[in-house]
Amino acid sequence: MNQTIVSYLAQYEFFDFLIKIFGENSLLLTTLIFAIAAGVFVAVAATIGGLGTYAERKISADIQMRLGPNRVGPYGLLQFLADGVKMITKEDVMPNSADKFLFYLAPMLCLVGVFATLAVLPISSGFTLVDLNVGVFYLIAISSLVGLGVFLGGYASNSKWSMLGGMRGASQIISYEIPVTLSVLAITLTAGSMSFGNIVSQQEGFITNWFIFHNPFSFLAFFIYFVGAMAETNRAPFDLPEAESELVSGYHTEYTGMRFGFFALAEYIEVFVVSGVAAALFLGGYNLPVHVSIDILPIQFIQVTILVGKALALYYVIIWVRWTFPRLRVDHLMSICWKYLTPIAIFNLIGSAIWMVAFRGQSIVQILGH
Amino acid sequence: MFLNLLFIASAILTILGAVLVLTTKNIMHSCVFLLTSLIGIAGLYATLGADFVAVTQVMVYVGGVVILMLFAVMLTGGKDFVSKAQNLLGLAPTMGNAFTYVMASFVGVVFILTNIQLIKRLGEFSKLKNNGSFVSTVNELGMLLVKDHILAFEISSVLLLGALVGAAIIARPRKQ
Repeated sequence: MNQTIVSYLAQYEFFDFLIKIFGENSLLLTTLIFAIAAGVFVAVAATIGGLGTYAERKISADIQMRLGPNRVGPYGLLQFLADGVKMITKEDVMPNSADKFLFYLAPMLCLVGVFATLAVLPISSGFTLVDLNVGVFYLIAISSLVGLGVFLGGYASNSKWSMLGGMRGASQIISYEIPVTLSVLAITLTAGSMSFGNIVSQQEGFITNWFIFHNPFSFLAFFIYFVGAMAETNRAPFDLPEAESELVSGYHTEYTGMRFGFFALAEYIEVFVVSGVAAALFLGGYNLPVHVSIDILPIQFIQVTILVGKALALYYVIIWVRWTFPRLRVDHLMSICWKYLTPIAIFNLIGSAIWMVAFRGQSIVQILGH
Repeated sequence: MFLNLLFIASAILTILGAVLVLTTKNIMHSCVFLLTSLIGIAGLYATLGADFVAVTQVMVYVGGVVILMLFAVMLTGGKDFVSKAQNLLGLAPTMGNAFTYVMASFVGVVFILTNIQLIKRLGEFSKLKNNGSFVSTVNELGMLLVKDHILAFEISSVLLLGALVGAAIIARPRKQ
């Protein structure tokens, strides 16, 4: 039932060769493939996160008519590596009155929560690490570890700015989880499945088959999801937890070196993950416009390119929004979530359910086509 | 084999977390260890084939309950709330007076008696064990919730709605 990268690779001839080496149904072989694949996923995600910082600086520079980083490597592309080396070699300072155990734990929790979501990110039809049949739910659930990391980071630093940032972060992430989950639920209802593979395969074909154009409610759900995801990843205009004009830098004020790097990396990878999920749930995921056999290996790489391309396009929009809109006030942030987004998302969910019953799950294009 | 390994790992995580919750003196650390224990329980559910329940466990406890507990602890004293009272062995805080222990032993007796009833039927359960392949429980669970267990489902939703309205009434600003 659960399609994994191992069960996908098992159909190829070279797998038989591996089985000959490791023996039939080898636990070692499965573990090894998963370990290598997970390693590749994490490495690629970390690189994308690192390049995210570069993209952020370059795009912001573009918006503000500056040049941005342009010294290290061609077009300043290697800037993130230089930053990484700088962070690793920095002194690891910990405040005297900090809670040592929680101070060390908090950045790890953030990073673990983000990396755990990569397990179900539908990168292509075969290369997805595991296509759980509760994949969407798992992703929403496990990403709440990030909120815990932010909160504990703020608490453990024992500084007033960190404390305020951590509290804001936790309350914001918990609050915005509700509209995000409700809008994802609308898509789950439309697809009739919680598995990413199933949801994406239902959007196969041309742009009109994408779930964003399925019905008016799913169109609305995309924007609720996008706004909520931006708030959940603490991106501007919702970056209250790290509001630099009032809280220095919020929950990671007291962190130095690579521990701060972990927080930053977790944020940038999470932005990529939520963009990828938005692409998979609403924008057709890894599907090609034409029907192809998924058994050919190069097709898998094309699918990866398509999904990553869509995700990066959304990534650009998120950065663009950051450098365009001013930051919200705390009470406005909460009233947007509870008084606007949540009621709209509930209405949206009921609307989707009525649509599914009334039109027997047909999309708006199918209805107009008849 | 693999499932057994995961089961043992989850069980160790659960028990270790629970023991650390009891023995640590800092209440914030206790909350974090409780998180370990709850994730271990999610792992136990997952290895038993209850995928939806496992994810719900993570969703409800990690995303909600533990963060709320941390909030509550922090707003009512945080790390200053360190219990000085010790039991005879000097290992853990005493956690309550004689009445607490009487109630706890009463609950313990009830718990053991009900568990004996469950253990009696252990032989029947082991026959139900599937051949190790996972089947999606989501559809079945959804159908059961709106068919056989609709009353429990509705009662719990009314209860939660009541709690939500109550919280809103308590938290709303008073008119002077």
